[in-house]
Amino acid sequence: MKKVAIVGAGQSRYGDFPDKGIKELFFEAYKDMISSVDNGIDPKSIESAYIGNLGSGGFQLGNMSALVTEYCGLTHLNTMRIENACASGGYAIIAAAMDVLSGAHEVVLAGGVEKMTDVSGMKQKYWLGVSGDTEYERLAGTTFAGLYALMAQRHMHEFGTKREQLSMVAVKNHKNGAQNPKAQFQREITMEQALKGPIVAHPLNLFDCCSTTDGASALIICDADMAKKYTDTPVYVAGFGGASDFLAIHDRVSTVALEGTKRAAAAAYKMSGLSPKDIQTAEVHDCFTIAELLAYEDLGFCEKGKGGQYMEEGHTKLDGDRPVNASGGLKSKGHPIGSTGTGMAYEMFNQLRGTIQKPARQVKGAEVGLIHNVGGSGGTVAVSILRR
Amino acid sequence: MAHVSVPMYWRTIPQRYKLIGYKCKKCGAVNFPPKGVCKQCQSSSEFEETHLSGRGKVHTFVLISAGGAPPEFAEQEKAGGQYPVAIVELEEGPKVIGQIADIDPKEVKIGMPVRTELRKIYTEEEVIRYGFKFVPA
Amino acid sequence: MMAVGISGYGIYIPRFRIKREEYAKAWGSFSAAGVTEKSVFGFDEDALTAAAKVTRRALESVPMEADMVTRFALATTSAPYLEKLLSGTVLVSVGIPNSAFTSDHTSSTRAGTEAMLAAFEHVMATQSGKAVVAAADAPKASMWDAVEHAFGAGAAAFVISSDNLIAELEGHFSYASEHFGERFKPKDDPLVRDLNVKKFAEGSVVRNTTSAGSALLKKLGRKPEDYQHVVIQQPDARVPVTVASRLKFTDAQLASSLVSKTLGDLGAASVPVALASALDAAKAGDRIMVISYGSGAGSDALSFKVVTDKKATVRVQADTERREYIDYVKYLKIKGAIQ
Repeated sequence: MKKVAIVGAGQSRYGDFPDKGIKELFFEAYKDMISSVDNGIDPKSIESAYIGNLGSGGFQLGNMSALVTEYCGLTHLNTMRIENACASGGYAIIAAAMDVLSGAHEVVLAGGVEKMTDVSGMKQKYWLGVSGDTEYERLAGTTFAGLYALMAQRHMHEFGTKREQLSMVAVKNHKNGAQNPKAQFQREITMEQALKGPIVAHPLNLFDCCSTTDGASALIICDADMAKKYTDTPVYVAGFGGASDFLAIHDRVSTVALEGTKRAAAAAYKMSGLSPKDIQTAEVHDCFTIAELLAYEDLGFCEKGKGGQYMEEGHTKLDGDRPVNASGGLKSKGHPIGSTGTGMAYEMFNQLRGTIQKPARQVKGAEVGLIHNVGGSGGTVAVSILRR
Repeated sequence: MAHVSVPMYWRTIPQRYKLIGYKCKKCGAVNFPPKGVCKQCQSSSEFEETHLSGRGKVHTFVLISAGGAPPEFAEQEKAGGQYPVAIVELEEGPKVIGQIADIDPKEVKIGMPVRTELRKIYTEEEVIRYGFKFVPA
Repeated sequence: MMAVGISGYGIYIPRFRIKREEYAKAWGSFSAAGVTEKSVFGFDEDALTAAAKVTRRALESVPMEADMVTRFALATTSAPYLEKLLSGTVLVSVGIPNSAFTSDHTSSTRAGTEAMLAAFEHVMATQSGKAVVAAADAPKASMWDAVEHAFGAGAAAFVISSDNLIAELEGHFSYASEHFGERFKPKDDPLVRDLNVKKFAEGSVVRNTTSAGSALLKKLGRKPEDYQHVVIQQPDARVPVTVASRLKFTDAQLASSLVSKTLGDLGAASVPVALASALDAAKAGDRIMVISYGSGAGSDALSFKVVTDKKATVRVQADTERREYIDYVKYLKIKGAIQ
């Protein structure tokens, strides 16, 4: 069977950029991607492009992948928008990998872009709730903060997970993000700040929640057989998996696990021949602090219910045995919805090649990393395992 | 802000006003709200209608503050303050999400008994959308 | 003639209360005579949600299945829509058959007894008929208007039939006349106005209520002392006292139903909730005189004889004692008075 490699990766700065729209943001990531290819790449050799995007506030719901790629000078592409809510980017990677594996195309772009700060505060909140179950969850008066709070409350009840353990995730990720020049919030927060943030959806406060972000990212994915033409240090996509679940939490078997994560991870582990113990570092979907603890459990890094303890024991800190979200995660790096998955791959590409800009958050010697991208509250999940 | 259209809302009236559930003829699981294929056995699409009691217990809950309220509920939060939303396990089996009304949010606990009653859910296009909420039983 | 009457009843008083002191702080005075505090609907409640709740409670008190109901009459002066069938919302939610004949009574505070009489007429015409009357109200006026001060919120429903009677209808008498300028809503405005021509308005109340009341006493060959309870429309807590004394009823006869002291003016639900309160207190053999009033103007008088000691599950007193006090700012917010 064919194999797939990533030979270039770029990312725009993440943040709030009134002077940039989706075209400009995507172009910034695209240029960064092109210049990251060690031996250079002719843009005309890119045959396909899969662009993750939720909706950019609703202004360009149609033909947006052609819009952002034609701005970069690419008008010959087999291109399409990939939409699976916050997991759109993760699925863009899967779509690109499948394209290459099918033999249809050899050089494919997987990217993502979102412009979230252009709209009024009310519209922003409107757009934040459109990827869950609209009829019941939304009309019960929740957005995603509320849905993850439902999971957090139950997790605390069933497993004794502590409020402090949630805040530890926020403190850790901000500490990492402070070292990421492309992160939205490049500053550390104290435990006290993290515990005392204004309540958004009890038990979650402002510091348990990721922000709204503008940003883009892009990868060049190609047939592994030709990867060395572009670089001496490609990063291989060892395995990937996508899995869906009931959109509404109340329909699911469990309110303290994302079955989608378990199933997507199982598929990725199987394809790669690897298991959780082989994962040396990971970028997981910490849209809310509880989501990172759930990810530890559902990806198999620790037992179900032990996510809080696993955090508290320090395994996932930069100097721990399995650093998680060295980029700062969604929490500190930012969460431009459609770009998040490919942004995680951008981070992992550099982590595995040892090319992180600031050595302070370079994970030392990692050869295998996992990226985990969740759509909505778990209605879709994409997991990829990358290997140097 | 057209969000949930009037016909889309109207189609859920059997659930929102009357708690009509759908019992799988194969495995017996009650599906509420309805599914095309039973969410438990995932193999049968034959159901019989059953009128749920509306009684159940709080499985988990959240207290929504200003930052967590969607725009359709912003006014409710501003007028009444923090509001509780729960996933309730109904006595017939299915879990369902809904607000808990008529309670001091501080009193909400996992395991507390609740029952449904008709309330205003929200208003859109000047049409009041009524439906069930939970109240302490 | 077949006996018809009340076979079950249910009430609902919302949890929120505001005290007269809150008004005094905000406006310098409180204009509802004799009212010390009043009930307020929550943000997500209105006449229809409250009507659904009391309809269910009334059916449970019998007990009777909703699918037995052949007639449903709804009364309110605070309809959430100026045009749209209101009773349909309650009918579907409670499970009353779609084939039941429904009616909405909305144009004055007399609507509660108007709906009751419509229900009685149905049962008298159709022996097997089962009717439910639900009155739910939370009148609304401009916060600048003193008439607003008394407005509370509450609901009551009655199952009307010829079986399992709690109280039998002995007779009724209605009186209508022409008055204006007191409590009214002009076209294109959903807020209650009152021109505050005090003695003129009081004259209308007294004339219509006493005319209906004394005519019914005469028709039945009764004297006021034949009654243990008298229930009179309560726009505040003083008017019913005035009307009672004009008809030679005593404060003691009024005591069991004077809910306005702690609930305020319940509009079309005033007499229904007050009647439920009297039923809560009544013993078998007691007689209850009921006199409603609606501006514009008209009164219905109904006479009941209590035939059992059976009570509703939720008493007016119990629901009244379940309360949470709110301040005036919160009151303005949940009333939707801040634009």
